[in-house]
Amino acid sequence: MNEEQNPQTPRRTTRASLSSTPNPKSCKAKLKLCNKQPLTINDLAYGDESISLDDLISSLPGRRSQISELLRLLGPLDSPMFPVFVYGGASTGKTSTILQIFKHLKRPFVYCSCITCYSPRILFESMLNQLLLHRRNESNRYSSTKRCERPSDFVNFLKEALCNVVDSLKGNMVKSSSKKSSGWARGKMVYLVFDNLELAREWDKSSNILPFLFNLNDILKMPEVGLVFLSNASPDTYYSDTGYVEPVPVYFPDYTEDELRQILMKKQENLKLYSSFLEVVLRPFCRVTRRVDELSTAFSTLYQIYCEPLDDLGIVPSEDMKRKLFTHLQPHIGPSLNETFKVENRLSSEASAKTNKWKGIAKKNGVCESPSEIDFHMSACAKYLLICAFLASRNPATLDASLFDSTGGSNNRKRKRKSSEKSKEKKENAEQELLLKGPGTFPLERLLAIFQCIVSVSECLPDEEAQGDGGLEGESWTNGLLSDVLLELSSLCNANFISKCGSCPLEGANRYRSMVSEAMALKVARSLKFPLAKYLYRG
Amino acid sequence: MDSPNEHPPTDPLTKNNLQPFFVLHKASKSSESTARSPRKPSKRRLDSSPKVSLNNENMKENLKMEAFRCVWSKIDSSIKDVLRSINADVFDEIGRWVRESFNAICSCRGPVDTSKSSLPYPFVHNGGIVRNLFTGLVFTKNIETVDDILTFAELGLNLKSRGCYVANISSLDFSTKNGIGGCLRAFLRQLLMVDIEAADVSLLVSWYSDHGKYEKPVVVIIEDMERCSGALLSDFVNMLSEWSVKIPIILIAGVATSTDALRNLLTSHALQYLSTSTFFLKSPSERLDAIIEAVLVKNCAGFSVGHKVASFLRNYFLRQDGTVTSFVRALKMAIVQQLSVEPLSFVLKFLVDEGDNKRSCCEDLADMSEELIKHAFELPSYRTYSVNRNNHVELNAMSLCQGLSELQRLQELWRSRLMCLHEAGRYHKVALLDLYLEALDPESYNSRLSNHDRDSAKDKSLLSNNDKLFRLQKAEVTNQVIRKIRDLPAAKLSQLLKSWERLTEGTIEVHEKIIELQSQMVSEDVKSHKAELTDISKRHINRCRLNKEKDACTSNDKAMTLAGQTIRDNMLPIECMPFHELICFKDVDNLQSALIGDPRRRIQIDLLNFYKILKCGCCSNSGGTLSPSMHDTSIMYLLAQEYGDLINLHDWFQSFKVSISSSGKKGLKKLASPKKRKDNTYSQNNSDALIQARFCRAVMELQITGVICVMARCGGVTDELLNQNYVKEATRCHRMVKII
Repeated sequence: MNEEQNPQTPRRTTRASLSSTPNPKSCKAKLKLCNKQPLTINDLAYGDESISLDDLISSLPGRRSQISELLRLLGPLDSPMFPVFVYGGASTGKTSTILQIFKHLKRPFVYCSCITCYSPRILFESMLNQLLLHRRNESNRYSSTKRCERPSDFVNFLKEALCNVVDSLKGNMVKSSSKKSSGWARGKMVYLVFDNLELAREWDKSSNILPFLFNLNDILKMPEVGLVFLSNASPDTYYSDTGYVEPVPVYFPDYTEDELRQILMKKQENLKLYSSFLEVVLRPFCRVTRRVDELSTAFSTLYQIYCEPLDDLGIVPSEDMKRKLFTHLQPHIGPSLNETFKVENRLSSEASAKTNKWKGIAKKNGVCESPSEIDFHMSACAKYLLICAFLASRNPATLDASLFDSTGGSNNRKRKRKSSEKSKEKKENAEQELLLKGPGTFPLERLLAIFQCIVSVSECLPDEEAQGDGGLEGESWTNGLLSDVLLELSSLCNANFISKCGSCPLEGANRYRSMVSEAMALKVARSLKFPLAKYLYRG
Repeated sequence: MDSPNEHPPTDPLTKNNLQPFFVLHKASKSSESTARSPRKPSKRRLDSSPKVSLNNENMKENLKMEAFRCVWSKIDSSIKDVLRSINADVFDEIGRWVRESFNAICSCRGPVDTSKSSLPYPFVHNGGIVRNLFTGLVFTKNIETVDDILTFAELGLNLKSRGCYVANISSLDFSTKNGIGGCLRAFLRQLLMVDIEAADVSLLVSWYSDHGKYEKPVVVIIEDMERCSGALLSDFVNMLSEWSVKIPIILIAGVATSTDALRNLLTSHALQYLSTSTFFLKSPSERLDAIIEAVLVKNCAGFSVGHKVASFLRNYFLRQDGTVTSFVRALKMAIVQQLSVEPLSFVLKFLVDEGDNKRSCCEDLADMSEELIKHAFELPSYRTYSVNRNNHVELNAMSLCQGLSELQRLQELWRSRLMCLHEAGRYHKVALLDLYLEALDPESYNSRLSNHDRDSAKDKSLLSNNDKLFRLQKAEVTNQVIRKIRDLPAAKLSQLLKSWERLTEGTIEVHEKIIELQSQMVSEDVKSHKAELTDISKRHINRCRLNKEKDACTSNDKAMTLAGQTIRDNMLPIECMPFHELICFKDVDNLQSALIGDPRRRIQIDLLNFYKILKCGCCSNSGGTLSPSMHDTSIMYLLAQEYGDLINLHDWFQSFKVSISSSGKKGLKKLASPKKRKDNTYSQNNSDALIQARFCRAVMELQITGVICVMARCGGVTDELLNQNYVKEATRCHRMVKII
């Protein structure tokens, strides 16, 4: 047991022997037992499974040239390398390529993603933990081996850790030469992989972390260390004024249509059916996006629709059937092209029975149904307030007086004057400007003023609700209203319908902005029977 | 038209427009101490209390406390039960979905390799990285999130009991101040049970793999998604999705509004990773209906509210607050007030106790002093009752007890009829709240009665009778529901009759009628069925169908008349029953002021009538006029009243100075305080500074209490100058204060 506790002696061949056991069940059981075992140096590499170069290339369609380029840069076993900077758009296979290459090479590497490691400290500590084969668990109260916040500390610790690792790797080599050990890490090089490096640009205002990382090769001066950076952004977007050797760039271009087809086809069971499906959808979608993740999520729902008329998913579609399926699918393609985010409706069993019909109709039309009513509860006061905020954001403040005059804006004869061509043009321009500017901000006082006007107007209107409820209603409506309005305002702010803008330092009062769309505001107005369109200023 | 400018000047702060001083604070709702309307009930208590002895008083208080505890605990538990059961379906659905998602993740991951799963690189599946995050969107259907805090806590418990690891994160953890680290720390603290300084998701992985926990999913519940900072939430989703296969994380987010909120909040990157399913909680009005049914309609605690109170509660719910929480709070307040105001209201407790304890009620009442018993017979409801009936019962505890049981019997009838209506209204989605409100209305009951009397004299053709019955009444929803019974298809009608049969078990006549109707329907059914079987010719079938429709019509009509009749006869609103004051709360004004609260008004009144609180000898006789001995803040406020809404700060200061110094001399003579004279001998400059300091302090005080607010944005040059002036004075004032 003593030996086991020493992480530096890679004597145990658990990984290798376990991976070679044919029975996965017993393997699992054993793994559970050895769960608490200390990590060995071999855990730094993909030990248990290996893939050949052919498998590597075929598993990543369209990445042949990048793979060979990377393999060339990494070089043969134990050869020092320049830092590599891999970049390309999102979802172009950068991370999986690198991981698969290391799987193929079986060389030890340390991987850190700047998504998970969201601050320099966590990045440093995560890297050190991996190198020092430290496992954070309950027994050490989930603490890291070293507390490390500054780059200078990190360099010291890193050097130390790397030396250890390289030494043990060398020892490893001696042993592996004598024994056959398929699961062991190969070579004495250690690679440090930094993924999602573009996120590190936003850490800290003192932008010294990136130059530091890029400079790491020079600082360490260890030929046994290879650095690989992965990023969405091209190297031009990183500061490069601090005299480090620029890493060798490797560009991952977007996939072509053919490559996308290959990638998407890989996971499918019924290839024929799926390829006929791709023939229909891939081209239009490729014009919008070439990201594999976006495409696969979009296609997964579309494929379900495509397969809906089929009873047996295993069939090979004939031309006739393809045509039929296409006509079935066609109305859905357009809407889903515009959709970035799809919400799957999961209805409870009783409700689904009811809505099935309705769903069918919606599907026939191929249009996303937008309910004409708001489907969540808002108190009447909040609704009025929402409308007021919308008006205050849309209308210029100078118009308030004429809109909400003593007649409550109920006669709008004044505003219906005929306008000349020139003024029309002017108005168009103004409208465009309004659109570009987005909703305007307004102070609280203006909102309250409009609110008061609107409420008083709507109370006078011969509303059937007001009639039915009698005198008591009006009383409760105005009583203690103001204090409640502010509460409602805060809940509207919480629901992101109204956003608080930064307060003006001179004025000291907060300004607000309405965030609702016109459609939403109209919906709310309709539920109150409030003539919103009458109050809207249209350029 | 009621334009806002026509408001009486006594209420300047509710005016709109750009005023320099605005009311900014929200009233705290729990404050029950508001003096608004004249309090009739409290007067009554004052009248009655001196008569009873001290001992009796004590006992009464005890009884009341006990009654409150008893009644409220019953109501509270039934509300909780209702809310729990109303969510049960959705919770089941969510539980099933969590299981399915977990299985999906497991099948994607394949066999577990514990040693590899804790390593920090993403899971490569089939040459690609899987970053799907299963997300359940739970729509709460209310922009107020108060009601759902409990719901999500319970969802967490429910999922825990189904074998998941659950962490509840609220929007407070997603504050930009703490960054993503704060939110991760809150998340990990719940699962790992340790506080970690530098939290990252990889810890979760090692925790998850360490415990051999591959049979359970990890569920993260975010209660109010809209309130979270979008950037942080996106980061969080990104982070979780990177590990989504290695740890089976399932996200559940409460959404108050619509899916658009999600689109607006998250980055497209983060949205990409979510594979969502939606769940809907019951809407607040549905929940409220369930609570009303359980607490007020079904005999839960014997307590009930008057028509005006009910309509206030309804309006408050629909127009202002819209949360079940505030409704429950209002109910609680109503009970408290009822118990504190009505001396005999502790009988509620006896009404709550069922069966055997009934007798003890009489005994307990017999122990009461005679004044109390007499008080019950002096209640207006009993008086009108006894005058109408011309009966003279002996005024003792026994008859009171009988009266109470009669009251209960009547209420029972009312309840069952209301539930019948509710059953009928269910087919047209009529809210119980509306029906309840109308059923409580004594006016509509009276009009119903008078109509009936008039009608009974006339010819009783079915249709005309109905028309009159419905036209002349106020109860709109009720009548609609009854009218719509006619349109019900046969299957639904028989279903409805079945539920009626169940509901009217107590009353024999109605019950019999319903059974008769049912049997009639059945026989019709059989007849038409037979006819269809025997006659094959088309014409015949057609005729049969016509017949059948006619029959159905008649049975529908009969059901309708039955409903109308039974409602007319049996639905006696509680406010028309004798002794109802004992258990029925009617004081809207008190409840309203307690619920809404108006602390600002209180402050204003106190500022104006400060002498009532200070009880000093110098100003109490001066009334509302200014005098220098008054408190500075009060002087300021009085001056502000003179000025109206918009006060020029400079003028205010000047008049403050004048009112202090001019009458100050007078006051000095009066008081002849040596200290002040000493002050007077100092330089004019010093006293100016002193006045300024006092002025500033008073302004500050008024500002802190929220009675005034210094407006910066008035647009005029003078105003700007004014503000500068104000700022200068304020700073100088601070310095002065510090030096002194």
